[in-house]
Amino acid sequence: MTQSILSLKNLSVGYDEPLISNINVEVLPGEVIAILGTSGIGKTTLLRTISGLVRPLSGSFDLNINKRGGLGYIPQRLGLVRHATVAHNVSLGARVNIGFSRNMWKERSERTMQALEMLGIAEKANEPVRRLSGGQQRRVATARSLAQRPQLLLADEFLGELDNLNVEIVFASVDQLVAEGTAVIMVEHHDDNALKFASRIWNLKDGVLHDMTIEEWKQQPRGGEEE
Amino acid sequence: MKYRLFGIIIVLLLLAWQTLDGLIEGDWGRLEGGFGNLSIFFSESMWPPDWSVLEPRSYPVCESNIEFFCSVGYIGMMETIKIAFVATILGFIGALCFSSLAARNLVPLYVSIPVRIFLSATRSLPSLIWAILFVIVIGFGPLSGVLAMTFYTIGYLGKLQYEVFEGMANDPLEASRAMGLSRSSILLNVVIPENSNHLLSQLMFMFEYNVRHGTVIGIVGAGGIGYYISTYLKFLQYEKVFALLILIFVVVVFIDLLSMMIRSFVNDEGDVRRPTWLNLILSPKEE
Repeated sequence: MTQSILSLKNLSVGYDEPLISNINVEVLPGEVIAILGTSGIGKTTLLRTISGLVRPLSGSFDLNINKRGGLGYIPQRLGLVRHATVAHNVSLGARVNIGFSRNMWKERSERTMQALEMLGIAEKANEPVRRLSGGQQRRVATARSLAQRPQLLLADEFLGELDNLNVEIVFASVDQLVAEGTAVIMVEHHDDNALKFASRIWNLKDGVLHDMTIEEWKQQPRGGEEE
Repeated sequence: MKYRLFGIIIVLLLLAWQTLDGLIEGDWGRLEGGFGNLSIFFSESMWPPDWSVLEPRSYPVCESNIEFFCSVGYIGMMETIKIAFVATILGFIGALCFSSLAARNLVPLYVSIPVRIFLSATRSLPSLIWAILFVIVIGFGPLSGVLAMTFYTIGYLGKLQYEVFEGMANDPLEASRAMGLSRSSILLNVVIPENSNHLLSQLMFMFEYNVRHGTVIGIVGAGGIGYYISTYLKFLQYEKVFALLILIFVVVVFIDLLSMMIRSFVNDEGDVRRPTWLNLILSPKEE
């Protein structure tokens, strides 16, 4: 049996008051999970808790990944260094997993360029990030994770502001990571994207996480339940 | 909102006025005739500036082809600029080390508090006192000036830097922490590049500050143009002092322009392509 990459045990997340309580789920390598739910329900808080940026209110979670570089994180505001170049930002991802060696610089640079080419922004490599459009910046954030090659990627609305063509480009690159065993947990506002790319849905509703397959999600009654 | 701000400014001004009145014990008569005295002093003692400070000194004999290079103004100013340059660079690097350990969003509180206290202690001694201390320890000359300015720069820039770091957006820090980047890597690859505009601005400001203060620390024997100003003051040659002050003003303005140019590479201002004055006059269509 495949060992889970993340397991949440009786986890409650929130700041002062719990937003989502008693979460018990597991994530396997290669799974793509979309977190859906109305604004303010706790999607981002759950992601930030798993990334270690927010302490759980109660319960625990186990991450079976490398401590250094095993986790990739694309925050809602992308977390890019605005005044640095595109290549510098993407190389941060490569920097985490490539240790000190004689070929360190070469490897970092190769991985950075691969990621940039995959996302179609290689020609912007030497531009400062602040000059790029919102959509291009999202591609840079994705390229950073691609260069990192994490075992678990947490992405907070990283498909927002992208047109359909760019959503396809971004997800084709993330698909490559998934094929190599990376699990992806993404917060999504658009059901369409979630249904297209995810293998499971975590539906947050009334302070509870409902873990469901795509089919179960589709069979749910509509009308006022989702935003 | 507009009236509230106006009210706050009025209250602050009244408070300042009241405090000043207390300080001078209500003796406003001391200001009487002050401007007259100043204009007499300026017109009789300082005006016109004596530009002989830009002519070669009679001794030692000038060996350079350009005589200006042997003038008191050039030699003094260059020494001040060199002292300020070395002190600013050393102080900037030192301040970066300490400020990264003082910013509360980069290190835990038990690290940041002692470092902040150290920076406050360094800053609480003005550069003039540092200069006197170093003149006592290692004697007269530019090295005392360099060390005095370096220590003051560490304290001063350190505070400005950690405040900038604390004010930066949190998301690049969070992303890099979650990714597993080391603290040193976050500082070098995220914090410093993200704040490069502010850091460069502070660096150039500190360089300008150190050039201006070169005049002060020179007076206590720590080298630079201040040495000459101090000498001319002793001999009541105020016209020469005025000429050297104008020279310092020109250098400070030049540093400000340089700062503007350097920062344009790292701020949004540099992203906007504007026609230069030359293009506007000569060939506007080519831009």
